[in-house]
Amino acid sequence: MKKEDTVKLISAEGFEFVIHKDAAMVSQTIRNMLTSPGGFAETEHGEVTFPEISTTILEKICKYFYWNLQFASGKQTEFHIEPELVLELMMAANYLHT
Amino acid sequence: MYIRVKRSKTTYFIQCEPTETSLDIKQKLHDLIDRPVNDQRLILVSSGEVLEDSKALADQKLIWIYLTLALGQPDKKILRFPPDDNEFEEVNIVRPDDFYPSRDADAGSW
Repeated sequence: MKKEDTVKLISAEGFEFVIHKDAAMVSQTIRNMLTSPGGFAETEHGEVTFPEISTTILEKICKYFYWNLQFASGKQTEFHIEPELVLELMMAANYLHT
Repeated sequence: MYIRVKRSKTTYFIQCEPTETSLDIKQKLHDLIDRPVNDQRLILVSSGEVLEDSKALADQKLIWIYLTLALGQPDKKILRFPPDDNEFEEVNIVRPDDFYPSRDADAGSW
């Protein structure tokens, strides 16, 4: 895994999640940020800050990205979501187009 | 499978195969953080066990690992290998809850 292949997602509290670009691009919004031309700061540093998304939610989202990749390769498992996270998670998913 | 390696406020999600060893993980971390393999120490979150380089990931159901780095200047020329136990930093994981109270805490006020 090369550093250039990863992207750093930063939560509202400043926690950092370093994940593979393939995983991050499960989100259409992040994909657009990373691939759009014009030299956005996001594209250059591979860092995306989400001031709206709390750490707990962002971590869940990262887990989902990886789960989604595994699922795409044909392995079917359940993705557990705590009921108390559902609302915030849906808002984040809506924002991220995931 | 993937594992999550946590240090301080940062979590690394690392894609790996069950056949890979702790050393392979350290190699991957080396690519990300520019610290040599010998400076790294992986600790199993559930048991606090320090992972040896030769151990395959499949041997234990590890998903959640803490990373500690050897203390001292990264550019220090002479570093003993492997560093002593006390040359590693303490596991210091900041939890979001420490300074970000959960929503339930103020639920009563509505």
